[in-house]
Amino acid sequence: MRGMSRRSTTKGGRARGLLQGVAFFATLAVVWEGSVRIFDIRSYLLPPLSDVIKEVIASRALLWQHGIITFNEVVLGFIAAAISGVMMAALVFFVPIARRTVYPLLIGLQSIPKVGLAPLIIVWFGYGLNSKVIMSFLFAFFPIVISTLGGLAGTPEHLEEHFRALRASRWVTFWKLRVPSALPSFVDGCKVAMPLAVIGAVVGEFVGSNDGLGNLILLATGSSRSSLTFAALGAVTAMSLALFAVVAGFGRLVWWRAQS
Amino acid sequence: MVASAIVSATEFPQAREPVIELRSVSKTYGAADGVKALDGVSFDVHEQEFVSILGPSGCGKSTLLRAIAGLTAFDGEGLSVGGQPVVEPMDDVGVVFQSSNLLPWRTVEANLRLGAEIRRETPDPQRMTAMLEMIGLSGFENRYPHELSGGMRQRVAIGQALVRNPKVLLLDEPFGALDALTRDKLNFELLRIWQAEKKTVVLVTHSIPEAIFLSDRVVVMSDRPGRLLEDVRIELPRPRDPKSTRTSADFGKYVVRLGELMGVQ
Repeated sequence: MRGMSRRSTTKGGRARGLLQGVAFFATLAVVWEGSVRIFDIRSYLLPPLSDVIKEVIASRALLWQHGIITFNEVVLGFIAAAISGVMMAALVFFVPIARRTVYPLLIGLQSIPKVGLAPLIIVWFGYGLNSKVIMSFLFAFFPIVISTLGGLAGTPEHLEEHFRALRASRWVTFWKLRVPSALPSFVDGCKVAMPLAVIGAVVGEFVGSNDGLGNLILLATGSSRSSLTFAALGAVTAMSLALFAVVAGFGRLVWWRAQS
Repeated sequence: MVASAIVSATEFPQAREPVIELRSVSKTYGAADGVKALDGVSFDVHEQEFVSILGPSGCGKSTLLRAIAGLTAFDGEGLSVGGQPVVEPMDDVGVVFQSSNLLPWRTVEANLRLGAEIRRETPDPQRMTAMLEMIGLSGFENRYPHELSGGMRQRVAIGQALVRNPKVLLLDEPFGALDALTRDKLNFELLRIWQAEKKTVVLVTHSIPEAIFLSDRVVVMSDRPGRLLEDVRIELPRPRDPKSTRTSADFGKYVVRLGELMGVQ
């Protein structure tokens, strides 16, 4: 009813949709493999897909070892961003002084290119986990604050009035009205923030690290092992998609939209 | 003939106690020289009476209802519900708005429970069941608002206002967003509920037939700033019936009369 895309609801329609998707990606794979072979592209420029798949299998232990590192950075950074993002949004929404002081500061900080901050973060927090968690946090924090704030402010006025008519206290109105009506926006923010958290961690690893998938990409590229570069890229992408799916899964629990 | 059938309300002495008393209620938006929405409105609503406030859009009738509900400040000599001056929303008053009051993340049953929950009370399960039956939604208690039709949603909203058993029910164009057929149907249901629950009801509407069909009295208001034009007693016999009441000659006369007052004819 409120889905943006039309979903095929019949069994046959769903099967056909799946088939179309599979056919499309199979075609892409064939084009990749075929064009590398036909045009004889050198493998350090673009390895054939089959080499990348072989590399993934051969280096799976390596990918897993670095993947876990990046995964931890991303998850810690994201959770920190989600918790503090909600608290910041509530602070800005409920405390007028914060709206006039902290909020403009926040908007200003958001305008700093966070990639440019990475070297500084490495200097401040070292080569290890902390600096990557903070990079991941920085990327994920703002979208969550902004969307949660939008959700809190977007509580339908007629429902607020209804709560006043029912003599609800501010506290009850917060928990029973504002929080549930802001939840879908919070989830939207999380969906934007999740892939950004991955980017943040990888950028941090690029700038200074001893391990992690970003580090692996740099090492592989530096030693012209393009197939490993692609394998690591694939691993980052797969992680990003999987984490997004988890967030979207939780998001399905808050399916409603409070209409004004 | 018309004059004998339609008599001004003041000519009938009221046996029952006034529950809602308005004395010269005014409301100005903005500063003192701002837009005047209400200008010295006075009338009483008696116990178990059904009174409609009828007027064109923007005449301040919703503002008047929100003043009675304690949701908006006003000027004037006074406004009391159950002998208490209105300064804030009261426990004894249930309100239903045009846009449904329902929380989209709560089921029908959980929406009915909301008022009790806010008061940290345990809702009486018998009352809940009876209310679901009363609003004709037994079996729908676990549905969400978006799964219901507009008419069903408004029935839940009415049930939500009534389930705590308030003395007074205030309705702000509760059927305004519904199609004509559903509206007529819900009018009849509202009448049935009102008779069963014995509430004092104030209904804001801009529908002349709706006001006549439901009310003991219709308070007709002028265009902005809202003034009380006339307080018309509806002398149609009860119980009223959708078919015979609406087709009666007297019903037609009231339609003409209220139409004249509102400047339709």
